[in-house]
Amino acid sequence: MPDPPDLAQQREEFEREASAASDRAAWEALRLKWLGRKRGIVRGLLSQLGGLPPDERKDFGQAVNRLKNSVEARLEELDASLSARERTASTQSAALDVTLPGRPPRVGTAHPVSLVVREIVEIFAGLGFSVAEGPEVEDDFHNFEALNFPPDHPAREEQDTFFLRDGRLLRTHTSPVQIRTMVDRDPPIRVICPGRVYRKDNDLRHSPMFHQIEGLAVGKGITFGDLKGTLEAFVHRLFSEETGVRLRPSYFPFTEPSAEVDITCPFCSGSGCRVCSDTGWMEILGSGMVNPRVLERCGIDPSVYTGFAFGLGIDRVAMIRFGIPNIRLLFDSDERVLRQVRG
Amino acid sequence: MRFSRSWLAEYVTLPESFEALANGLTGAGLAVEGSDHVGDDVLFEVDVTSNRADCMSHLGIAREVGALFGQTVEQPDLPTPGVIRIDANSWGSIEIEDPVGCPRYVGVVVRGIRVGTSPDWLKARLEAVGVRSINNVVDVTNFVLWEYGQPLHGFDADKLRGQKIVVRSARNGEALITLDGETRLLVPEILVIADGQEAVALAGIMGGRDSEVSEGTVNVLIESAHFQPTRVRNGAKALAMHTDASHRFERGSDPEACLEAALRAAGLIVDLCGGKLDPQVIDVRPDVTEPVEGEFSLEGLNAFAGVETDESFVVEHLGRLGFTLQRLFGDETAWNVQVPSWRRFDFEADPKGRVYPAYFYEEVLRMRGLDAIPSTLPAIEGPDPGLSLSHLRREELRNLLAACGLAETITYSFGSAGADSRFNGLAVGPPLELANALSEQYAFMQRSLLPNLVEGALYNLRRGAQSVQLFEFGHVFPASGSEVDSLGVILGGRLGSPWQRGLELDFFDLKGVLEMMARESGAELRFEPAALAGLIPGTAAEIHLARRGAADPVPIGYLGRVDEPESAVPLYAGEIRIEELGRGAPDEVTAPPRHPGVAVDLTLTHSLDTAWATLAVAIRELRPESLTDFEMTDRYCGEGVPAGAVNTTISFRYGAHDRSLTQDEVNEQHGRLAEALERRFKLGG
Ligand SMILES: [Zn+2]
Repeated sequence: MPDPPDLAQQREEFEREASAASDRAAWEALRLKWLGRKRGIVRGLLSQLGGLPPDERKDFGQAVNRLKNSVEARLEELDASLSARERTASTQSAALDVTLPGRPPRVGTAHPVSLVVREIVEIFAGLGFSVAEGPEVEDDFHNFEALNFPPDHPAREEQDTFFLRDGRLLRTHTSPVQIRTMVDRDPPIRVICPGRVYRKDNDLRHSPMFHQIEGLAVGKGITFGDLKGTLEAFVHRLFSEETGVRLRPSYFPFTEPSAEVDITCPFCSGSGCRVCSDTGWMEILGSGMVNPRVLERCGIDPSVYTGFAFGLGIDRVAMIRFGIPNIRLLFDSDERVLRQVRG
Repeated sequence: MRFSRSWLAEYVTLPESFEALANGLTGAGLAVEGSDHVGDDVLFEVDVTSNRADCMSHLGIAREVGALFGQTVEQPDLPTPGVIRIDANSWGSIEIEDPVGCPRYVGVVVRGIRVGTSPDWLKARLEAVGVRSINNVVDVTNFVLWEYGQPLHGFDADKLRGQKIVVRSARNGEALITLDGETRLLVPEILVIADGQEAVALAGIMGGRDSEVSEGTVNVLIESAHFQPTRVRNGAKALAMHTDASHRFERGSDPEACLEAALRAAGLIVDLCGGKLDPQVIDVRPDVTEPVEGEFSLEGLNAFAGVETDESFVVEHLGRLGFTLQRLFGDETAWNVQVPSWRRFDFEADPKGRVYPAYFYEEVLRMRGLDAIPSTLPAIEGPDPGLSLSHLRREELRNLLAACGLAETITYSFGSAGADSRFNGLAVGPPLELANALSEQYAFMQRSLLPNLVEGALYNLRRGAQSVQLFEFGHVFPASGSEVDSLGVILGGRLGSPWQRGLELDFFDLKGVLEMMARESGAELRFEPAALAGLIPGTAAEIHLARRGAADPVPIGYLGRVDEPESAVPLYAGEIRIEELGRGAPDEVTAPPRHPGVAVDLTLTHSLDTAWATLAVAIRELRPESLTDFEMTDRYCGEGVPAGAVNTTISFRYGAHDRSLTQDEVNEQHGRLAEALERRFKLGG
């Protein structure tokens, strides 16, 4: 059965209008005109249904439904193609210059000296050492006397001490912390003592303030071999497994025997260069077995206990580690230097 | 200290290669630090540590070489004296007034000499060790100094008035013109050699000009004495002098070498300058020098070293080094050991006067070489104590500050006078002053970290930095009592470009960093406005730390905008004591609400005089039942806001834990809150 002619006319009209709808607004207007709930054309046609004779109603109703279905289908199709066009348009405007610089989060830095301290403390923590700290203004007893520097001994002069007007002094090494630890605690003792130290020295290689880290182990049956093994383990972790370690007998009033510790030069791996004066070695540590007199002064019986101690300059290690040419650069607060360092 | 290989070879057979010699000495504690080949000779530098005065001579080094390489040391030939007298001879007399300062004085007279130039071999020897040739007599004394290590002095015997030597303390006001032509004013700390009238030499330091050996000298008195190290040291210090002689005496010379060295010099003078040795040698020695002794066992040595050493090695090497070993009764491998006189100052004794065994262990180990000792790790019982709290706290704070974008700096702990009084600081009392500062710039211990941080900020800004963000951990120093473990922070300037969505660092960036640190340690900070030195009025506050469950908040520091005309950008700085921060437990995690809340903003126009803290207190007081949270989200002054007022935008969040609130409920509660706030604070409303 053919459609009633009046609906064919509407169909044509819708087709004409639909072909002209090129944007979202026109599509919306079209939808309202034809499918609007109150004034839509399809709605109008359906409302005519009641006025028709009963035998025509069925056919007319079916015809309106067919019109409605095809309008809906066409609108959906139009909607899809409009959406596709819209997406394309929006992604086109999202294009960006991927070569522009990224925005780095501003991260800060720990000081090179702090990074080296952290590393050394972690290594010794693994060997069972804990951190001990102490004051920087010290008295003669803790800085010298208890460490077996006799009064008026040349070894004192070598330390270039800063004195305060009140008679105290700025510690010349972190060894006073060892003394305080031995006085306060009973063996076994394993401590590592980082901190600022002061010597009256100021040139390209020396700063009047610098940093040391010292270690101390006291217990029953501690041997010179233990000192050697501990230092080797330390050097291998701090530098590399390939680094050679050499102990040379030396003299410090607070250890007996004493030894300087050389490592193969990290710059030339031992073949000789300007930094190591062509020796292939670099002196980085002082060490030794704790002098029995020092133990005695701290109330520890040297016939029962032995111990070893060692110390190294942190600033030197930091300079080696980060290739810092001049010790002053460590204390200038220059952010251009400080922010280059990564732990 | 410089040595000559060919000179050394006069006393002991050396290894073929110089390298073997250098390695041997270095391995035994006499570090060879450089060498020069000069003609047939090798001149080498040895780092002689201050305990080894015995090695400041060629014979001393030869003894070490002999022990290391199993060689016998040839001693020089000495003339035989006729009679040794204890106080006088045919020339005159020697008197020691201070036997503590001068335990021994040997005087040898050579008569009828002719002073002239030295033969080439002697000049060459001295030149090798860097000593200038003067005349044959002086050169001989210097030669013996470098041969035996015993400082000698030659007097023109005829210029000593009264044919007399007196060793005594200098008198107050006494003066002496020394060999170098300087007039020295003396004090009693200085030990002098006097003739019958006045001081003629500084004992152990330098001779006097008027009694020195000169061209016309016919009779020479050779002084070879032992002076107490401390006495020489105090004298040299009082005169600010340091000579080859004082260097050796201060480190301890060999009291037994006096006579040998004097005879050696006398023999050489007779050979080179003619003349005759006075057969009567004077050797004044008021007290007996007690030997230095101790004991040790092979077992003790092996346990100490962690390696086994043979008995024969011990006996052989200690013997060659001059130690006298005597087996202890009933024990085959333990000895009583007498220390050679040239090492007596190096070997320390226990309270009973016996040398500690560790000193003997050292001798054996340095002869073996430390390479021989195997590497082990200490077997210490007991659990590890863990890292200290203060260290961990500082590490955590350091990480946090770095994560916040700040760079750590380290600056000197000392500064100029008053540099730190610019700020309140965290250390109270007058500053500690150095007695021997390098310069005025570094003369006082800092009581505040801020002066150096401000300097650091300016350093960066002057070099074109757009912003600074620095922190430092350090001690600050009160007049008495414990040093304060402090943290200083400074920041300011424009951080980042417009592309990086830059921002101007201000007070609240600093405050935020400090608050975050406190929160990490389970505490909260309170900021009380305060007038503080060095900070611009109205921008400064004291910082108090409040810990949950603790009593009153404690003051821990301060912050504010630095009053610094040199800076192109506003700088904000603060300083806190970190021991108060502790390592508190962080807040427990609470589960987020299951029903999302509703956020409502309110912009309140109120007087600039009304502090945010006042608003916050009011909100807490009024707190509607369902208000879960509120936050200041914006502040605005300017167009559209009346003068003296500010727009504060607050974001409120409402919610219930068991259901979603309806918009009506929120509107009703928020409406009441907003109305109450506006009634109390709204300006011109
Ligand atoms: Zn090298």
